[in-house]
Amino acid sequence: MEEILKAENLKKTFKLSKKQQRLEGVSVPLKVAVDNLSFTAYRGEIFGLLGPNGAGKTTTLRMLATLIKPDSGNAFINGNSIVSEEYAVRKSIGFLTSELKLDDFFTPNYLYDFFSELHCVDRATRDGRKRELFAKFGIDRFAEVKLANLSTGMKQKVSLVVSIVHDPDLIIFDEPTNGLDVLTAKVVTDFLQELKSQGKTIILSTHIFSLVEKLCDRVGIIINGKLAALDALEKLIENDTLENTFFGIYKSVTGENV
Amino acid sequence: MKNVWTIVKKEFYRFFRDKRMIITVLLPGILIYVLYSLMGTVFSEKAVDKDYKPTAYVINMPTEIEETLESALSVYDKDMTEEEAKEKVSVGEADLALVFPDNLFANDSSETPDVRIYYNSSKNSSVVAFSIVEAVLDLYKQPAFSVNAQGGGDLADEKDTAVSILSMLVPMLMFAMLASACIAVAPESIAGEKERGTMATLLVTPIKRVQLAVGKIISLTCFAMLSGVSSFIGVIFSLPKLVGGFIGAETAALYGVGDYFMLFGLIISIIFAIISAFSVLSSLAKSVKEAGAMITPLMMVIILLGLATMFVSANPSLGLFAIPLLGSGLAISSIMSFTATGAGVALAIISNVVLALLLTVLLAFTFKSEKIMFGK
Repeated sequence: MEEILKAENLKKTFKLSKKQQRLEGVSVPLKVAVDNLSFTAYRGEIFGLLGPNGAGKTTTLRMLATLIKPDSGNAFINGNSIVSEEYAVRKSIGFLTSELKLDDFFTPNYLYDFFSELHCVDRATRDGRKRELFAKFGIDRFAEVKLANLSTGMKQKVSLVVSIVHDPDLIIFDEPTNGLDVLTAKVVTDFLQELKSQGKTIILSTHIFSLVEKLCDRVGIIINGKLAALDALEKLIENDTLENTFFGIYKSVTGENV
Repeated sequence: MKNVWTIVKKEFYRFFRDKRMIITVLLPGILIYVLYSLMGTVFSEKAVDKDYKPTAYVINMPTEIEETLESALSVYDKDMTEEEAKEKVSVGEADLALVFPDNLFANDSSETPDVRIYYNSSKNSSVVAFSIVEAVLDLYKQPAFSVNAQGGGDLADEKDTAVSILSMLVPMLMFAMLASACIAVAPESIAGEKERGTMATLLVTPIKRVQLAVGKIISLTCFAMLSGVSSFIGVIFSLPKLVGGFIGAETAALYGVGDYFMLFGLIISIIFAIISAFSVLSSLAKSVKEAGAMITPLMMVIILLGLATMFVSANPSLGLFAIPLLGSGLAISSIMSFTATGAGVALAIISNVVLALLLTVLLAFTFKSEKIMFGK
């Protein structure tokens, strides 16, 4: 199997304010969000990062997407370092998270063209892909409607489409179905499977067990910034449900009963 | 380069389809025109025309000074009672009422003869008339020598007065105007994008940070230029009325094409510098509101720099022109007073451009900083 993403000892700490220190009951002004995280993803698989809120999933994905830099460690996407070759990395990834917004003022059509231009997609490829993706997600009927006037689900679909205008090899999705109704969520998960069948690699973070069970080939469980387990999905659910396996691991790492 | 163009196109699309933004930018010019014209009209109503001849009722006019007084005043009906004349002055129908004693120049009693002058201080022309008559009578009280009887007088011509007012007023007005044009567009486009989360979407694309910075600053400079041009037109059309209100001169015709050309070059470079500075602050801010709060003190400083040009010596050394913004203030002032040199204006423009370019690089660095872009 061909490695497409290799993360090596990624570490990220954030400064805590005095107030935050009191709230968390700690005396050190630093919080380790991601602690020596290493994992590998292979071409054509869906890799899931599963963990509770605040485990460091989003921070990890933001590092992979080059929005923030690791304090130490590195990761390579298609052989390009996220630390020193971030422009090359940005060309080969698509990143979708609720944090990245699209300007409400524009229409889906305009945004698609704008981001295609920034990704240097030529006009013919752009128009072909746009027609196809807009039809698939039903955006075509709203192509000239300002985003401000679209429903939440439609906005999410536009965000998804815009994040992959350049047909990236690796797609990073942070909580892809959060806030979506069941219908839209199904459209999105079906599309992820379709991308996989096209040979794309998908890294997704979630805290929803069913989503992992439905989509992922391999799963990394993150607890308190550390990788607590990493295995193929079928191995993790060999003896028990994913949920029970997760709680077992959680208890053995933190010593807390859930 | 292509990415810069992509950003500029997007900013223009955004700007020109947003009616609110266009109004914000064009409004200052209209407001300036209305405000200055009104101010000018109010001043001109108060001012007294040099050729105006005050009117007066004179009772018991002595023949000795009749000719002198009539050269300065329009003298009305001489057969009127003192009370009637006072009434006319108090209602403003005449500027003065003069009451002379019978024996002004042939006094043989021990009592000093007294001339009574009634005037109305709520009317400018009445005050002026009072001082004229007082001066005339002074001459007769002490006929030892005369002043300005055979020559002398005010040598300032109207053009000089207009020029000195303009060279003091325009730099500050211009700075205030341009800074407010910049504050209308910069926070919205940079801090606004950060606040709305659309900046992060741009930052995951392969666009170079410096391209983004250049694209933003080019577009914002253009929008602020629109506002600047609108304000400029407002000023050009209202200045004659405003300055005319003070001294009654036409000013627009005072300056040649070359003067306006230099002025225009200075305006572009000033906007470029101010937009860059405001953009950096907007990038540091977390929200449009915070950006506004951070920019306001800087805006005060910029207006003060415009004001400071009034206090710099009349012939500033060339080195002062090399100080960004202050140099431009001096250059505008020198254009207004016809003392502009090509070197001074060029130096002022270059200093603004250099500052703006440095700030553009700084802006690109702020886009690179995760602490600034994503710090909570």
